[in-house]
Amino acid sequence: MTQAASLGPASLDPASLDPDAAQRAIEYCYEQGWSDGLPLVPATRPLVDQFLAHTSRDPGEVIGTLEQVGRGCTVYLAAVNAAMAGCRPEYFPVVLAAFGALMAERAARGGGWQSTSGPAPLIVVNGPVRAELGFNATGGVFGPGFRANATVARAIGLIVRNAFGIHPHVLEQATQGVPGRWSICIAENEEESPWEPFSVGGGVPAGTSAVSATLLRTSEFVDNRHSHHPEDVLWDLADTISRTGAQIFKEASAGVVLCPEHAQMFAGAGYSRAAVQEWLMARCGRLPADLRRAGKGDLSKISPEDEARQAAAGAGEISRTMMSSRQLPVIVAGARNAAISMVVRVFGEWSGTAVPVEVPAEVTAGAPAGARAGTGTR
Amino acid sequence: MPNAILDPTGQADRTSAGPAFTLARRRPGLRGARVGLLVNTKRNADLLLEEVGRLLMKEQGAGSVMARTKLAFAQPVTEDMLTELTTGCDVVVTGVGDCGSCSASAVTDGIMLEGRGIPAAVICSDAFGASADAIASLRGAPGYRYLTTPHPVAVLTPDEVRDRARQLVGDIVSLLASDGTAGGTADGTADSTADGTAGGAADGEAAA
Repeated sequence: MTQAASLGPASLDPASLDPDAAQRAIEYCYEQGWSDGLPLVPATRPLVDQFLAHTSRDPGEVIGTLEQVGRGCTVYLAAVNAAMAGCRPEYFPVVLAAFGALMAERAARGGGWQSTSGPAPLIVVNGPVRAELGFNATGGVFGPGFRANATVARAIGLIVRNAFGIHPHVLEQATQGVPGRWSICIAENEEESPWEPFSVGGGVPAGTSAVSATLLRTSEFVDNRHSHHPEDVLWDLADTISRTGAQIFKEASAGVVLCPEHAQMFAGAGYSRAAVQEWLMARCGRLPADLRRAGKGDLSKISPEDEARQAAAGAGEISRTMMSSRQLPVIVAGARNAAISMVVRVFGEWSGTAVPVEVPAEVTAGAPAGARAGTGTR
Repeated sequence: MPNAILDPTGQADRTSAGPAFTLARRRPGLRGARVGLLVNTKRNADLLLEEVGRLLMKEQGAGSVMARTKLAFAQPVTEDMLTELTTGCDVVVTGVGDCGSCSASAVTDGIMLEGRGIPAAVICSDAFGASADAIASLRGAPGYRYLTTPHPVAVLTPDEVRDRARQLVGDIVSLLASDGTAGGTADGTADSTADGTAGGAADGEAAA
């Protein structure tokens, strides 16, 4: 018989714990090559059964395959990896939704995990599950410090490593990688956002918990506490979005995680989310001469004839990099304490899909009440 | 009795792999051979393979060249294109694997072609040996031989790309033909590195 798992603050009597055994188990996991570098929670059947009790999906259901390496992930394997990542069992539906959202991304189904660019998933959580499970949506939203945010993102990384078998220096060929890989899971600050939840644009109604995801090549701050004019701040964002180093094709996606202060400034001046996107899409890009100066002249969409004509008229036109709002998702997150927003560099193009978080009809494994937001999860 | 620690890979209880991988049977030489070029869309891959095809026609007496371009460099070749290559060609040259995903998928393409009886010469940049070797093992063909050329390839000028083709062609012949006779390559490097080690051949520097 297997021993029953005991989870939750009520059972954590220090005298009953065996830290020496825990350390040996952690070392065993390292020796198997399962770790991303940090200690893993050794997963056992009773623990994983608690994860599986939080979904109605069959443990054998395949939730993603990576055809080029002949590997796949089942609900069961996702649960093992989520447990090892340090998730609580009740986070598991969020992990499944996040993985589902990522597998809707062309880059994640293709070569993204193996790429020299080493992209990081950006996971965005919307809806009541944020408060229920303690996801941080406000100060320090890019982390660290919050178990739900940190472990859901880490679970995705462990699935890619263990279920898909993509290891650094082997099938994963990141040149430098990206700060924050496997740790960027943000909840949208819906309470201080002037707009509808981000997930609504992904097809899930407001009030329903949902996860959206894409891959990022980096994140770059735009600190503008200097101006009260929305267009000034938009120009500041456009400058970061338009840098030549980020452009490798004629089009280049970006994304903006606006702090509440910037979002509210835009909304106060009448900008909808779509209007912010349109403003930036019309102005992000570079002059052909700028691209040439960086050795990227062939990325210009402006013909030499048009460029000459514009030069004669004394007005150069930029080669626009974004033509669709899916190339520029706009999210609101962070604290309302400074006008600092983040440009995120979307790898490829966001699928435009949000995945609802399953709410099981009845959880039989007895989820501990301590899992509620703010009671021991932070 | 403590609970067992669960394996997160799903590979622990995997049954042993299928039938052992065997290379496609080599033809004596490339004279009259129908050569397939599988271009993976990476920058300069088209010119490199085109030049290889030209040299194989001119110097090895290959009968024809048929070029096909992959739809997605990160993925293995599609079934339709694979069928087209196996029915229309006697040997295939493919590349250039010069990124994480495309190095792996180029080697996969080579292994799939071999499995269908078509000798393949896969060209990767020498920065991606780990990825290429790993996928060969994953695909049941550990030690599968492919060719390398110095990294990077994407930034080379057209003349430099043609030089690379020149440097590679002898080893391509060695890899595709049983007698390994590279008849009359101009720089005489043809057999210098065809030593049978995976990834060790044709680094091109001998002729540089």
